[in-house]
Order: sequence, then structure tokens, then C-alpha cells
Amino acid sequence: MSVLRVENIKKKYAGHTALNNISLEVKKGEIYGLLGPNGAGKTSLIRIINQITAADEGKVYLDDREIKRSDIAHIGYLPEERGLYKKMKVREQAMYFARLKGLTKSEASEKIDYWFKKFDIESWANKKVETLSKGMAQKIQFIITVLHEPKLLILDEPFSGFDPINANLIKDEILELKKNGASIILSTHDMNSVEEICDSISLIDNAEMILQGKLSDIRKQFRSDLYAIQFKGMMFGFANALFADFALEHSEQLDDNTALAHVRLLKENNLHDLIKTAMSVVEIESVNEVLPSMNDIFIKAVNKEGGKDE
Amino acid sequence: MSKISLIIKREFSTRVRKGGFITITLLVPFLIVGAITILALIGQTEEKHYKVLIADPSDLCEGEIYVKPGTQTPATFYFYQDMLYVEDFINQPRFQDYDMMVALDDEVITNKTVNIGYRIDPVPSARVYIQKKIESRLEEYFARQNGISMDVYREVRQPMKVNFQDLENDEIAKTANRARILGFLLSVFIFLFITIYSAMVMRSVLEEKTSRIVEIVVSSVKPFQLLMGKIIGVGLVGLVQFFTWILITAGLLMLMRSFIFPDITTPEMVANLQEQGITPGMSEFDLLTYQNDFFNLLFNQVNWSLLLTLFVVFFIGGYLIYASLFAMVGAASDSEADTQQLIFPVLIPLIFVLMLAIFMLINPGGSSELWFSQIPFSSPIIMLQRVAAGTVSLWEVLMAIGILILTFILLTKLAAKVYRVGILMYGKKASWREIMRWMKQ
Repeated sequence: MSVLRVENIKKKYAGHTALNNISLEVKKGEIYGLLGPNGAGKTSLIRIINQITAADEGKVYLDDREIKRSDIAHIGYLPEERGLYKKMKVREQAMYFARLKGLTKSEASEKIDYWFKKFDIESWANKKVETLSKGMAQKIQFIITVLHEPKLLILDEPFSGFDPINANLIKDEILELKKNGASIILSTHDMNSVEEICDSISLIDNAEMILQGKLSDIRKQFRSDLYAIQFKGMMFGFANALFADFALEHSEQLDDNTALAHVRLLKENNLHDLIKTAMSVVEIESVNEVLPSMNDIFIKAVNKEGGKDE
Repeated sequence: MSKISLIIKREFSTRVRKGGFITITLLVPFLIVGAITILALIGQTEEKHYKVLIADPSDLCEGEIYVKPGTQTPATFYFYQDMLYVEDFINQPRFQDYDMMVALDDEVITNKTVNIGYRIDPVPSARVYIQKKIESRLEEYFARQNGISMDVYREVRQPMKVNFQDLENDEIAKTANRARILGFLLSVFIFLFITIYSAMVMRSVLEEKTSRIVEIVVSSVKPFQLLMGKIIGVGLVGLVQFFTWILITAGLLMLMRSFIFPDITTPEMVANLQEQGITPGMSEFDLLTYQNDFFNLLFNQVNWSLLLTLFVVFFIGGYLIYASLFAMVGAASDSEADTQQLIFPVLIPLIFVLMLAIFMLINPGGSSELWFSQIPFSSPIIMLQRVAAGTVSLWEVLMAIGILILTFILLTKLAAKVYRVGILMYGKKASWREIMRWMKQ
């Protein structure tokens, strides 16, 4: 079942197109990566989903119903550019935002207690935000985003500003929210975290959708017949044996007698041919396919698009 | 609680809890009453009384100068029927009691020149008094010399009382003019209120924008709700401050009435006033206000309930209009420095209207008054001045209020459009051309 469905969204600003025919679907309990270079149109799309701005064309559905103003109570949004009221006290601030999302005073109070306890920040409750460090403020912002238990969370660069320990803490919280049934749109440039936690992705570039699907499928789609072979024997003999049928992309000596090589298949050769060739000269310890990293896929896809434009 | 009231509550409570706000709100009434007290005391200070010695060897004045019995005068005249030299007047002990000497020698008759020497420079009002008294006494002498009888002369010479009167309102213009000054003060006050509180809205918009919190807020409420909540919340702070000032000031004035002034009114003053036909049995404070022009205006002639009601109405109207404009500027700016440039076109009309108010004070009654008390950008400041002077009819006031409301509705719609786009535009300042384009969207 899809929680969010975006259909053929178009948005133009004076003189330039921000989004051209963008569609995507986020399923229940899914973490959805919304990727793209700076200025690609991600923030425009997020603002349309949040009903901060309206699309010129296209529709947004939440739970298969066209989205209404009142639905923002079911969405939690952590913008990339985010701040808090500096002069306001932490708890007061959390209460204010929770109530703006439609929680009653007692509901909000209960939820605040839960989250403050969970993040072990009860002692900050009466501190003014201006006295907090950036990381501390980020935690408050995260709490404010999830306080009203939205079914859809939109997190724009949620890890920026966090040290590795707190980034992990947030990552764990995101996974727990997912486990509890929330759907999460994650917009980030941190490709490692995309690989780690995203189930599906959309890659937008220059207002266009250039790549979309399940993360595992996309990585397979971008496979380039590259294998990592670990073996016992001489690298020199191994390299010679590959000859013109395979390309040695990378090699390293692990110890006196063991080496690791990244080999790409050329011509019509398959993995079987590679193993056969290698077995004749060295003793194979392991063979694994090297899938492209999200980082590589991102660069490749965007460059290809850029090339197409030129 | 609706979202807009949550915003109003936040905007309101964060401001009224600030130390600066509390201090100013409590302090200003004391300053106002302090200033009033000083003004009153200055009005009551005993002026110096001068002893004037007239050296009149030819006995032109016949040893007397006519003074209406029972009136308080700045000078008393004494006569010395001999020649008096300046050196003697300065040095001889018997003249030391006198502050001034008037030499009426033969030159007076031939050159019509009187020389007056003084030890202490007399205040202008005393100078005028002394000059007038001597002049009229000598004129009597000249009249007699020319065969005109004293009765005829005094009949002719009676001072003329000239009153300027407003024919339409049947009120003495002097009062209207003084009331105008009060109206002008209210104009200045309303100008300050509008500027200060509109600027507060602008800063608040800009603060939310630069701290990037606005994106979180508008993912929960409509930009229009946020804008209105902000304008109303800040406006309420202004009204609370205003009413606190009025209450404390009124309280302090009552205290002043019962504690500070009873001692100032002396029995002589009471006698003096009774002679002028003022009924006995008035409180001493009432006597004081009757005597002091300023106090008379303040306590007896101004319809405060009307003026303050209209002050509130026009403050709200003017504030809503200018706060919308200031909010636009805040939304279109990216930093405090940007606002300083963008605010000019908004500030110029405000300052122009203030100048106009000053001009009207000097030249009341022009036709521009009629226009500017209707134009919504100036009416909040100009209308009060006219109301205080009593030169305006009810329908004019109602029409101005109506126009103000219509303009406000129109302007907030435009401001909301600009606001909606502006608050999410980071990194650059919009030009007025862009702002206009956003309005048309």
C-alpha cells in the first residue's frame, strides 16, 4: 500500500522549470531516498508535498486520497535549512510546534516527556535554545519533527550537523520509526547512509527524474561485470593469464602470498570463463561481484544526463 | 485552540515577558506625569517682583501710575521728584532697594525717549508691563497738554480685547489651537507607535526567515495564518502597553491632584480668582487648572474618552496597514541590512505625514487637511489632530475609518502573497520590482 503518491508534478518559477513531470510512490514502512545534485528540484518537490507551495500541474495523494490541508498533521518535516526560536525555552518550543500540528496540550506534554526521556535531555527542558550547541538543537528539531507521530516523515539532510555518535543515534531512530510503520523520505547527499538504510530511491537532476526504483535493482542495473578475486599465487602470472579477455582494474598484495584483484569481464566472457582462466595460474580463495556504490551510480547517472543535455 | 491563536499567543507572550518591555511600560507613565508636574510647577513659580523708581523732577506723572486694584503686577512704581543721576542710583545706599530707575527728564517731552536703567535684566513680560504703564501715563500728560480731558483720553485709550472665533463651531479659536498642539502630540505618539510596532513585525518576520524556522512553521500553518498571527500578536502588545500607560498615568494624575498641588494655591490666589468671578467652593486643584492654560486644556476642555477611543481605532488601522508593508519588507529581505534599503519607500510616506502634521500645526485649516485625513496612509496620524481641534464632523471620521479598513483588507492580501514567496527565498534580497511581481501572482 502506498502512503504517498506523487503524479506528474510540474512546477515553474519565473524563467526556469523546477520540476518537470515528476512522479514517485512511497510505500508504508519504506525509507525512500530522494537524491539529486544541488538545485535539482528536491526542495521544490518536498515543499509541494508539504503544501507549502502548490504545483502548477499534477497531484499528490496521501493514503490514496488527494492530499488536503488537514493532512499536514500526518506529515513530519525536517527541512535542510532549519532553526529554532533562540529566545524560547526548549520544552515551550516543542509544545508550540506540537500544538501547531494539532496535538492537545496533554497529548503534547505526554509525547514530549517520552522523547525527552528517550534522548536523555530532560534537563534541557527549561534552557533557552540559544544556550544549546548545534548538535543539541538538531536533536530538538528531530524530536519536534516526529513528536506528533506522523505516518510520513520528510527528512532533508537529517544527519548534517551531527557527530558520528549522534548521527548513528538518529539513524537508529529512523529505523525504529520505520519498524513502527512510518514511511520516510530521506533527502541527502550522504550516499553511505542511502546504501545503509534506503529501500528505494529517486534521483532527480535538472527538474527531471533520471533514475527510480528499488535500491537493490538499481545497483544491479548499474553493475559493470566487475569481480573481486582473492587468491594465493603470483600477481604477475595472474595478470598475464587475463590477457585480452579481461581487464585488471585494481590489484593489491594482501600478504607475501595472497593478493586481491578487481577484474572486469571483456568481450563475451562470463564469470565462469574468468574462474577457469584464473584457476589455471593461481589458487582462488574467494570471488565476489563488485556492485557499484551509490556514490558511483549518482555521479554516473548525473554525468550521463548532463552529457545528454550538451 | 486554533493555530492562529497559538501564533498570537506566542508572539504576544514572548514580548510582554521581556524585561525591556516591562521596564518601559512601567516607566513611561512616570515620565509623562513628571513632565506634566514640571510644566505645572513652572506655571506656578512666583515671578520676580520689580521695584521701579521713577525720577520725575517735572512731576509729569503727578506721583501716581494707575494700577487696577487687586491685580497682581510684576512691578511696583515709586516716585522721586528730583533729578537722579545714574551714579547716585548705583552707589547711594538709599536707592539700593530699587531694581530699576526711570529718568523722566525734559528729553521725554522733546525726543519722546525714556531711559530705564536696571540692576537685574527684567524678564520680557515685566519689560512690557513697565513700558506700557509709563507710556500710557505720559500719554495722559500729552493729552492734557493738548487740551484733551482725562475722561475723554481714558475713554479713547481703553485697551481693546480681540478674540478670534471659529464661526462654524462657535468655539474660541485659542482653545482650538491649544487643542491642536495636544492633537499633534497624539499624532506624534501614534506615529511612534505605528513605526515601532510595525518595525517589530518586520524584525519578527526576518528573524524567522534568517533562523530558517519559518520553513518548519509553514509546514504546519498557512503563511497567511502565520502573518496574521504575528501582526495581531505584536499589535496586542502595543495595545497592552498603551492601556497600561493610560491606567498608570491616570492613577498618577489623581495622586498628583490630591498630594502635590494643594499647597501651591495660596489664599491670595484664591482671592484673586474669586475677584475674576470664579465661584468659591471649587477645589484648589480646580482653581489651579483654571489658572494654568495647559492644565485647563488637559483637565477641562479635552474630551479624553473620545480622543483615546479614536487613538486606539486609528492606531489599530494605521498599524495594520504599515505592519503589512513592513512585513513585506521583512519577507523580501535576507538580512537586517537589506531591510534598511527596502524600507525607504514605506518609511517616506510615514515621515512625510509627520511633516504634514507639523505643517498643519502651523497652518491649520487648509484643504490638504481634508484630504490627508481621509487617505489611509496618513489618516491615522492627521485625523486625531483634527479631532482634538474639533474641526471635524462625525461622518468624516467614520469615512476615514471605513477607508482604513478597506485598505487594510486589500493590503494584507497583497502582503500575504509577498510574504508567502519571500519567506522561502534564501540568500538574496528581492527588489521592489520582484515584490510587485509576487503581488500579481
